[in-house]
Amino acid sequence: MTEATQQFFATLPARAPEVLRGPAMGTLRIDLTEGHRTEHWLVRMRPGVAEVGQGAEPGDATWYCSVDLFDRLATGRAQAIATTFRNESTFRGDVVLFLAFRRFFPSAPGTRDPREVAREHARWTR
Amino acid sequence: MKELVSILDGNTFLVSDRRGDVEPSLDFPTGLFSFDTRFLSTWLLLIDGERLHALSIDDSESHKTRYFLVPGEPTHFLDAKVSVIRSRAISGDLSEELTVLNHSGQEMSFTVRMEMAADFADIFEIKDTKRKKGHNTAAPGEDSLRLTYRRDAFHRETTIHSTAAAQVDRRGMTFPIRIGPHGEWTTRLTVNTVIYGARGQDVRSLLPFAGSRTTAAIEAEHAEFIARAPKLGCDCEPLAGAYRRSLNDLAALRYESIALGVRLMAAGLPWFMTLFGRDSIFTSLQVLPFMPELIPPTLTMLAGLQGHRVDDFRDEEPGKILHELRYGETAGFEEQPHTPYYGAADSTALFVILLDEYERWTGDGALVKRLEASARAALTWIDTYGDLLGTGYVWYQTRSPQVGLENQCWKDSWDAICYSDGRLPSFPRATCELQGYAYDAKLRGARMARLHWNDPIYADRLEREAAELKERFNRDFWLPDKEYYALALDSDGSPVDALTSNIGHLLWSGIVDESRARRVAEHLVGPRLFSGWGVRTLADDQGRYNPIGYHVGTVWPFDNSIIAWGLWKYGLREEAGKICESMLAASRYFAGRLPEAFAGYERDLTDYPVEYPTACSPQAWSAGTPLLLLRVMLGLEPQGEHLIIDPYVPPGMGRVELLDIPGRWGRVDALGRSRDEGPSRPD
Repeated sequence: MTEATQQFFATLPARAPEVLRGPAMGTLRIDLTEGHRTEHWLVRMRPGVAEVGQGAEPGDATWYCSVDLFDRLATGRAQAIATTFRNESTFRGDVVLFLAFRRFFPSAPGTRDPREVAREHARWTR
Repeated sequence: MKELVSILDGNTFLVSDRRGDVEPSLDFPTGLFSFDTRFLSTWLLLIDGERLHALSIDDSESHKTRYFLVPGEPTHFLDAKVSVIRSRAISGDLSEELTVLNHSGQEMSFTVRMEMAADFADIFEIKDTKRKKGHNTAAPGEDSLRLTYRRDAFHRETTIHSTAAAQVDRRGMTFPIRIGPHGEWTTRLTVNTVIYGARGQDVRSLLPFAGSRTTAAIEAEHAEFIARAPKLGCDCEPLAGAYRRSLNDLAALRYESIALGVRLMAAGLPWFMTLFGRDSIFTSLQVLPFMPELIPPTLTMLAGLQGHRVDDFRDEEPGKILHELRYGETAGFEEQPHTPYYGAADSTALFVILLDEYERWTGDGALVKRLEASARAALTWIDTYGDLLGTGYVWYQTRSPQVGLENQCWKDSWDAICYSDGRLPSFPRATCELQGYAYDAKLRGARMARLHWNDPIYADRLEREAAELKERFNRDFWLPDKEYYALALDSDGSPVDALTSNIGHLLWSGIVDESRARRVAEHLVGPRLFSGWGVRTLADDQGRYNPIGYHVGTVWPFDNSIIAWGLWKYGLREEAGKICESMLAASRYFAGRLPEAFAGYERDLTDYPVEYPTACSPQAWSAGTPLLLLRVMLGLEPQGEHLIIDPYVPPGMGRVELLDIPGRWGRVDALGRSRDEGPSRPD
C-alpha cells in the first residue's frame, strides 16, 4: 500500500457527509494486489457515513485493483470507470456502491476551476 | 442507406446488406455490434464461389429477419435450381439458420462457404480508422471458429458454432454438401460475443436480465411491454401506424446497462446505441404518459453517474449530468472521453425537469426524495459551473479541444450555432434554450423542495431566481427589430441573431413573456421556418441554411414534438395542431417510423419528406415523437391527483381515443375529435 492510499482511506469518514449524499448503502470490499500479495479493505457506506476497516470478509461488492492503480486513482491521476472498461480493474456485485465510492476520488493535480479559465478569456463578465 | 437491413435487441445490433451479407466497411457501421464493439465485420455467404441475390426479405420484426436468396447476380435470367433461406435473430447472441433447397429432380452437390471475420473495431474507429493497438487471433476448432482480440487486459471474443459438420479455417467455414432431389440442407450458425471482465467471466453473465435471451423470451417481453401501454383508437391511419411502430421500436431500443443492471433506452441505430443524457431525458418526457416505468431506471442511472469532480478531458464538473456513456475500447483506454463524457450544458437542467414531471404524473414522491441530493447538486451546477462567466446564464465551452464537443446543446454539430449572416460566434456561448431549461428547472425544483424536501426557504429562493432569470432573459435575448429571441449570446454578450427552431423550446420552458408568445409562434409556423412537413432547425433565409444540413435546415421530429408541446402550453392549439398534422403526414412516408431528421425542402417541392442521408433509425426520441404529439392533441396534463383532458384534434384527423392512460389517478381514458367535421374522413 502506498502512502497516498493510506491517507486516502484515513480521510473517508470525515469526507463522507459531503461525498455520500445519495442513497447508496452497503459494504464495498477493495482488493489491492501487488505481486502475489493482496490487501483487503472494507468500506461500509450509508448516506453521510463511511466506515473503513480491513479484512477479507465478503462485501456487497468487490473491486479488484492493483496497488499502483489505486494510488493513481487516490491522487486523481486515473479515472475509475475507464479503468473498469479497459479491464485494468474489475468489479462484481452492487455497482451502485462502486459509483458512490468513486466520488471520493479527487480531480487531477493542477486542475483549475473552469470558470476562472473562461473568465480570463471572455470579454463580458459581470 | 435504404439497402441496409438492421436487427437489434437492446444495444446489440446487426447491420447487413439485402442479401444478409456483411462486408468490411470503413464508413458505415455494418456488422454485428454489442456494447460499442464490432464482433463481426465479415459475414458473407457463397454458393459454389458465387454471391447470392435477394428475392425478398421479411423484416417485419425488429430482432429477426429472413432473407430469400438465389445464386448469381441480379442481371442473370432467373432459373434457379437452388435457393437459400437465411433466417436470423438477435437475442443477446446472433443465430442464423441457413437452409439450401434443391428444386431439381436430381441429387445436387454444392460448396457452401461462409466467410467470417471480426475486426473488433470500436464504433468510434469506423469513421476514423486507426491501426488497432491490440492483437487479433483466429482459432479454428471442431465446427467452430474462435476470434479474439486482446489489448492489455481488454479482451473481446467472438465464437461461431455450426450444427452441421464444417471444414473450418481461420477465415470461415466450408460445407461440401449433397442434397437429394427436392431436398434441403440446414445448419444453424450461432455467434456468441464475450466481453471479459472480473475473473475472466463475461461481464454480461452477471447481469440480472442475463445477456442471452431466447427469441421467444424477447417476443413475450416486447408483447408485454406493448400490452401495458395505453390503447389507441383513431380514424387517422398514419397516427395509428406511427403509434404502433413507435411502441415496437421503443421496446427494441431498451438495453441492459453493464454498469447498473437496469434497462435503459439506447438513443439510435447505428451510431448512438448507448446512453445519452439529453436523448434519454427527452425520450422519457415524451413517453412518460404512456410507460412511466421506463423513467426511474434512467433517472437513477443518470444520478449515479452525475459528475463529482473537475475533469477537463471529460468536460466534467460537480453536479453535471452526463452527455454520453460508451463501453468500447477507445473509451476504456481514454482515447475518447466517454466514461462518461459530460459535454452537454442542457442535460443537468433537463434531469431536474424530468424528475418533477415524472412525479407529477405518477405520484412517486419516494423517488424525488431518494434523488434529492442529485437534484440539488444539479440545480447548484446551473448557478455555479454552468454559469461560466458569472452573468446569470448557462454557458458552454469545451476544455477538451481534441475530442470534446464544440457545441454542447442538442444542435451539437460544429456549425449549428451561427449568426444570421452565417458567421460563427466566439466561445463561450450561451444558447437560448439552455436558459429556458434553467428557468423551468428552478420552478420545478421549487415545487419539489416545497412538496417533498420540506424546504420552503429553498423553494422561495429558486422561484425568485427563476423570475429574475426570465426578466433578464427577455431583456438580453429578445431582438426587437426581428421580433424573435436570439439563438445565443456570444462571449461579448452580443446576441447571435439567427432565426432557429430553438425559440420553440423557449415556449416549452415557459420563459417567453406572454406578450411575445404569439409572435414567436408566427415565426415557427411561418414560411421561413415551417417547411410544410415541420419546423426547420434553421430558417431558409439564413446564411448557413442548407435543407440537408444536419442542424442548419433539416427538420427533426423530436424538435417538433417539443415545439408542439410549447405552443400548446401557451394555448396556441391551432399552431400546435399544424405541427402534429405535418409530422404524422411525414411519418406515412417512413412506414410510421420517423427518422432522426429529414430534409428541410418545401413540402410543395418534393411531395414527400426526403430522409437525411445518414439519419439514425430507429431513433428513440423520434420514436417518442408520435406519443408526445398524442399528448398535445388530447391536451393531457396532470393536475393534483387528476388528469386534465382538453383535446384539440387538428382538422381532418377525426376521432382520437386513448384508453388506459396510467398515472397517479389509476388509469383513465381520453377522447378527442376534430371540430370541423361531419362524418370523419379516414386518411
